[in-house]
Amino acid sequence: MRILLDKFSKSFGSTKIIEDMDLEVGSGEMLALLGPSGCGKSTTLFAVCGIHRPTAGRILFGDRDVTHLPSQERNVGVVFQSYALYPHMTVEENIGFPLMVKRIASADIKKQVADIAALVHIGDLLGRRPAQLSGGQQQRVALARALIRRPDVLLLDEPLANLDAKLRLEMRSEIRRLQKETGITAILVTHDQVEAMSMCDRIAIMKSGEIVQIATPSEMYKDPRTSFVASFLGNPPISFLKGKVQQGAFVLGENGLRLPLAAVSGIPDGTPLSLGVRPEHFGTTAGIPVEGKVVFAETQGRENLYDVVLPDGSVLRSIQPVRDDVKPGDSVRWHLDSASTFVFAEDGRRL
Amino acid sequence: MRTSRALGLVMIAPAAVMIFLFFLMPVVLTAIFAMTNMSTATGISGGAWQVTQTAVNRLKAEMPELAGGIAEPRFVIDEEGLAALEALKLKAGFGTELRTSHMGEVFPSRREAERMIKALKDRPSTREVKQISDLFNRSVLNTRFETRDQLMASLKKLGFTLTPAEQETVAATTYTGWVWTTENFRIIRNSPDMAQIFLNTAFYVSVTLLLFNVSYALFLAITTHYMPASTASVFRAIWLLPRITPVVIYVLMWKWLTWDSGFISMFMGQFGYPPKNYLLDSANNAWFFVILINGFIGASMGMLVFSSAIKAIPQTQFHASEVDGASRWQQVRHIILPQLRWPILFVTCYQTLSLLASFNEILLSTRGGPGRATEVWSLAAYHTALNNYTGNLEYGLGAAMALVLVVVGIVLSLIYLRIFRYDTLISKPLIED
Repeated sequence: MRILLDKFSKSFGSTKIIEDMDLEVGSGEMLALLGPSGCGKSTTLFAVCGIHRPTAGRILFGDRDVTHLPSQERNVGVVFQSYALYPHMTVEENIGFPLMVKRIASADIKKQVADIAALVHIGDLLGRRPAQLSGGQQQRVALARALIRRPDVLLLDEPLANLDAKLRLEMRSEIRRLQKETGITAILVTHDQVEAMSMCDRIAIMKSGEIVQIATPSEMYKDPRTSFVASFLGNPPISFLKGKVQQGAFVLGENGLRLPLAAVSGIPDGTPLSLGVRPEHFGTTAGIPVEGKVVFAETQGRENLYDVVLPDGSVLRSIQPVRDDVKPGDSVRWHLDSASTFVFAEDGRRL
Repeated sequence: MRTSRALGLVMIAPAAVMIFLFFLMPVVLTAIFAMTNMSTATGISGGAWQVTQTAVNRLKAEMPELAGGIAEPRFVIDEEGLAALEALKLKAGFGTELRTSHMGEVFPSRREAERMIKALKDRPSTREVKQISDLFNRSVLNTRFETRDQLMASLKKLGFTLTPAEQETVAATTYTGWVWTTENFRIIRNSPDMAQIFLNTAFYVSVTLLLFNVSYALFLAITTHYMPASTASVFRAIWLLPRITPVVIYVLMWKWLTWDSGFISMFMGQFGYPPKNYLLDSANNAWFFVILINGFIGASMGMLVFSSAIKAIPQTQFHASEVDGASRWQQVRHIILPQLRWPILFVTCYQTLSLLASFNEILLSTRGGPGRATEVWSLAAYHTALNNYTGNLEYGLGAAMALVLVVVGIVLSLIYLRIFRYDTLISKPLIED
């Protein structure tokens, strides 16, 4: 079912969190709300599930206006960051709770709980209490509880934040699998770009209550609209060089490195710019040679990560297949793939 | 390790001493007193052996002959009496003749003794006969003996030969001090008054507990939970007032309300009802107000405990249950109440004990009246042992009543722990990964 936020605004007292946000999530789509903490992504999620009431604007599920419906009547499933399992109930009672409050016959509940528990692979834990479960198992219970009443919409609030790294990887694909199998429309709130990129069809990246860009993960990675988006996606993160336009080229510092870039043409001389260079675009086989000194090297097994200080003091990051010939302190002359760099105006806009 | 353990003992010593002095000792002393028949009449130190008319009456049931004998005056011609006679400086012949021909004779009545004296050779005058016979009067009635042996010696001298068992009975009936006994518990078990007081207590504790200390407190805690914070704190503050008002003033306000010139009388007067004391005019009214007075105090404690317990439930559980489709009532029923099991146990247990033990509100308001309609166990123990109209304060019986209260309290606590399945409340979670 499609979710539509139409001029949605939310403020707490006099503090405006979100103003006039428009967002559409297509039916069966999984969308990530990505942003740093305090950007309003959880507020948006809570408004969609009805825990917060919007200050202004409308929220539509399909064609149904749910803006003023209490959360009980919205038919949404939510997985909370802390899972919010009921500690005094068994796993079976937890999962069956949404059906139990609808006064469905207990035999029916038992059957449906068994089905959904099998789907999330916790069929053998039904008799336990949440305190007797590991984090990943609790996570699955929370998912099962959210899914059991076949909600129109599945909302996930930082569902992986409390899991350890290995489990996080496992649950990432697990949640995506369940979402695909059930064909449910889902919104994932997260501050982790890896989660957003790996799990979702599209990402809406948020900053201070506004959506900066909505795109598929690869589009957004290749074509960030602002320096904020560019800095948020990618691991290891992008590095920025500050410079000025000089005769159709980007010049780093006072008569330093000069990069002829197509994107710069037509910009008046002396305009301050910043240049975003992703680590995989420095240290390539072809491009403009750049000299610098390695100050930091880190191996990640398959790849090595280097920090290189340029003569003017700015730092470029490089990721390369493992090699043993470069140590911190070495001077290097590596190539920069200037065609893949991003040019941003001083206010962060992509040029 | 050793020093830290020693340090621990040192640190806990003051508390241990306090617990011993102010908790264990009173209980132990109560238990000890409960096994005695101490009262104002017996005193708390030792007693003496005294053949009072009451003692004789008691003795009549078991040894009617002896009782009759003791009650009568007895006359014995003995050295003691002869010495006294000499001191009177009457005719020397009286003493000499009594010593030689009548020494050791016992006369069961004054008449017989005086007949013998009259027949003495020196012919005493009627006045002298009286004087002499008085000297040989050896009745034990109303005589106080400091030891048991003195009493027995006197009886023997009077010609009562008693078997050891009989001696025991006589000693027991004439002893004025306190003795070890289990009589108190028999009184408690058999007296219909005690049964009535027990029923009063059960009624008072269970109704106050159920209606106010738990139910009403839960109602307040849950309703204030769903109120905006500022409104909720105003409500909580109002319900705290009975608790923080000094109890004397609080009860006095209730008395003002219910007096025959008080608010209720004035209000009912508007509808033509004559003024009356609503607090004490009937047993039902007295109970009504006694329960309200205590309930309003008790409700605030439960309210605070339950409110903070509800606050301790993570907010997301309320969010989650709303999203899961639970109505307010279902939230209360399935999310809040099951997680209040421990606080409810605590409040029930604590308030049962405090209702059982405290009687100050009742003492200040109805004094157990009208009649003894609102007399509860602790108040009855207080009246028995420390303050009653007859003036004979029965410490032993009062202590026994207090001991019964302690036992009832412990038994009830154990039952509560069982009902609320305390073991599952404290069971350790089994976390694995």
